[in-house]
Amino acid sequence: MSVAINIENVIKRFGKDTVINGLSLDIKPGEFFTLLGPSGCGKTTLLRMIIGFNSIEGGQIKIDGKVINDIPTNKRNMGMVFQNYAIFPHMSVKDNIAFGLKNRKVPKEEIEKKVDEILKVVKIDHLKNRMPQKLSGGQQQRIALARAIVIHPEVLLMDEPLSNLDAKLRTEMRNAIKQIQQQVGITTVYVTHDQEEALAVSDRIAVMNGGVIQQIDTPKNIYQRPANTFVSSFIGLSNIINGVLEGNENGKALLRIGNYKFQMNNIKKDCHPNSEVKVSVRPEEFIINKETEEGIPVVVKSSVFLGVATHYFVETKEGQEIEVIENSDLDELIPNGTKIHLKVQTQKVNVFSEDGSRSFIDREVRS
Amino acid sequence: MKSGIKKLNMWQVLAFAILALFLMFVVYPIGLILYKSILMQDGSISFSYFGKFFSKKFYWSTLVNSFKVTIASTLVSAVLGLIMAYVLRSVQIKGSKYLNILIVISYLSPPFIGAYAWVQLLGRNGFITRILNSMFNVQLGGIYGFSGIVLVFSLQSFPLVYMYVSGALKNLDNSLNEVAESLGCSVFQRVTRVIVPLVTPTLLASSLLVFMRVFSDFGTPMLIGEGYKTFPVLLYSQFMGEVSTDDHYAAALCVIVIGITLILFFLQKYIGNKLTYSMSALKPMQAEKATGIRNILAHAFVYLVVLVAVLPQLTVISTSFMETKGASYTGQFTLENYKNILTPKNISTITNTYLFGLAAILLVVVLGVLVSYLTVRKRSFLTSILDTLTMFPYIIPGSVLGISFLYAFNRKPLLLSGTAIIIIISLCIRRMPYTIRSSTAIIGQISPSIEEAAISLGATERKTFLKIMVPMMMAGVLSGAIMSWITLISELSSSIILYTSKTQTLTVAIYAEVIRSNFGNAAAYSTILTFTSVLSLLLFFKVSGNNDISV
Repeated sequence: MSVAINIENVIKRFGKDTVINGLSLDIKPGEFFTLLGPSGCGKTTLLRMIIGFNSIEGGQIKIDGKVINDIPTNKRNMGMVFQNYAIFPHMSVKDNIAFGLKNRKVPKEEIEKKVDEILKVVKIDHLKNRMPQKLSGGQQQRIALARAIVIHPEVLLMDEPLSNLDAKLRTEMRNAIKQIQQQVGITTVYVTHDQEEALAVSDRIAVMNGGVIQQIDTPKNIYQRPANTFVSSFIGLSNIINGVLEGNENGKALLRIGNYKFQMNNIKKDCHPNSEVKVSVRPEEFIINKETEEGIPVVVKSSVFLGVATHYFVETKEGQEIEVIENSDLDELIPNGTKIHLKVQTQKVNVFSEDGSRSFIDREVRS
Repeated sequence: MKSGIKKLNMWQVLAFAILALFLMFVVYPIGLILYKSILMQDGSISFSYFGKFFSKKFYWSTLVNSFKVTIASTLVSAVLGLIMAYVLRSVQIKGSKYLNILIVISYLSPPFIGAYAWVQLLGRNGFITRILNSMFNVQLGGIYGFSGIVLVFSLQSFPLVYMYVSGALKNLDNSLNEVAESLGCSVFQRVTRVIVPLVTPTLLASSLLVFMRVFSDFGTPMLIGEGYKTFPVLLYSQFMGEVSTDDHYAAALCVIVIGITLILFFLQKYIGNKLTYSMSALKPMQAEKATGIRNILAHAFVYLVVLVAVLPQLTVISTSFMETKGASYTGQFTLENYKNILTPKNISTITNTYLFGLAAILLVVVLGVLVSYLTVRKRSFLTSILDTLTMFPYIIPGSVLGISFLYAFNRKPLLLSGTAIIIIISLCIRRMPYTIRSSTAIIGQISPSIEEAAISLGATERKTFLKIMVPMMMAGVLSGAIMSWITLISELSSSIILYTSKTQTLTVAIYAEVIRSNFGNAAAYSTILTFTSVLSLLLFFKVSGNNDISV
């Protein structure tokens, strides 16, 4: 039932501008696949190429093995949910949802039945005969979703569907979307610039930047083992600190940041010793050391108490600002101006080549 | 791809068809005028007609006169419109809603009716003149010439400035006012330093609209100007004159008008682009209750201005029930005037007006919606040509369009002169730029993803347009159409040139009856026109659901 999407070396040009130059991507049947990236990275462009609003200047897109480059949008049998919902304001909720079925010449009784069914799935059956204008953003989004999946599309495409909702509704709707997608089992391509949303809903994520895919992986791997410094900084917050890889024997390596040295067990075997590296440390991966001299020497500049955690903003001797998160305990906050030392959780940190483009972490090693 | 090409063609075919229409009914006639203006009787090419115009004072002084009356009336309109808008927005005036409607009505009636009504009031033999003469035992000559023209145009045009500035004031956030006050500005300083500068772009843009309107109007100076000849009057008499008509010279005059309006058009565009602030008020200015002398002054001023503005209408309506003997009134009440104009022989004037107006509206709405859809959503080289071309009529005064139509369509195979079709097409062309502009704004407010949603759900482009776009645009287009209808039934300058006895419309009939001094009939016709406009305006308010008017 579910179909695979194969994107092979596609090229997109707007006039003389090449926005996407030879991008390839395979989406598995029934998968919830997310395109994630900053605005202008080409994610929406790619989505619109899949549905057919954008032409394809090179390469091909296959659905279920069939090339669809030249099939017009209205024959592609894909459902799309738009950022602004694109609800037809002059039609009732029911007519909005029935619109696609009518185009497919589905018999009247069947339309009625299918509309009722889908209204129950998206939980707005009580709104069936209302006009959409007075409905809330969340309700309109449910209509848009129902309208897109009632036609039993082969592929469901969503373009930043939650960005117009407030924070609370956003969380509620993303759970609903995930649940409904699992229920109907349609291959889904989801576009967002919100990393938390992407982590929450996706089976796999493709992180894009400048029209190029940076990493395709599960949410957990994307967060914990980013492929380069772009991914590590874009997903969550990372402090990128200069370091030196001093020795490397079969993956057991010695890393040095300033005078702070520590052992790592999961460095790729072919990494040369004595090379400059970037060490990427998330704020929660630091260990604050108030007793000894071990660690990176820093001075506390300011702190913010946020209940669950306390954020410290500290500065190194070189003037680099670093953010540290510590679980709040009953002790007093560390006063501004205090000199402390930062150690790292060695199994969690990531190490990249000096230009930040390659990860030196060997993911096969479980440390 | 096959079906993709087919669908593309549907829009392209439409674009080509509309382009062909515009080439035939805009480019060809205007091109012909340009050609005629430099073509001599003996077939050679020369600019000597232009030389003739600028070398004789008799001719070029009309242009000077035109500029004088236009500048004077524009200034008065701008000041009056600005003050009215500010007072009505800042002070609570009793019955302001009805005053608003009266102001709009005074704007929507054709200017020459104002001219003829003011002659009835302040002319040599006017009601007010006679009262003044007997009261002070003097012999006033009546208001003609420069002052008469400026009076009529100012009262007729200030509503336009008023509507625009009032709209701008509505978008002005009151916090700007409050900030100025907290920074120590007095009321007067607030107006001159904050409010006036912020509405200046709107004021200038609307003043230029007034300028263009007044500059090309010929009915008013014709009726009240007497010896004071303006350029449009010269143009009309050169073309229609009984003594000597010279087609080629008239064509040259047309070219001069087009040149001037073209300059004004670009000036307006330039100012519009340069000076626009985008404002949207969270907390608009509230009209506050004034007290004491301020309140009395504000009420007195507003009511006086509105009264003077609608005085022509009141005059026309009341004189329509008065018995006439020749050109003077006997003072008796009568329905005779209405009986006259409703005879089977004359009734066609009214039916013509309605029929031509409706036909033109239908045409202009269908074409306008299609053109704006094509230029907004199906951008291509072809549609951008269409975009420019369809704005052309905006700068062509009605009389010039009428003259060019007569030149272009007076012999086979394009024999249209004397038919209803030529009048309908000219009305349609004249209104086209306004309809396209408003439709473009409406389409701009509809997100493209609405259409994409329909297509992704399997609808064809044609179905998307008819089932999604058209219904969504309907309300806006309909209220625009009603405004167009009101402007079209009061159109005179091209109809007066194109009409024959069979295709006479209300405005033409009013003008003709005034010229023949059949004031009773003229008043009755005018009353019917006013009545139609008022009803249409009420319908507009009902359809659009608000009191904002854009013309």
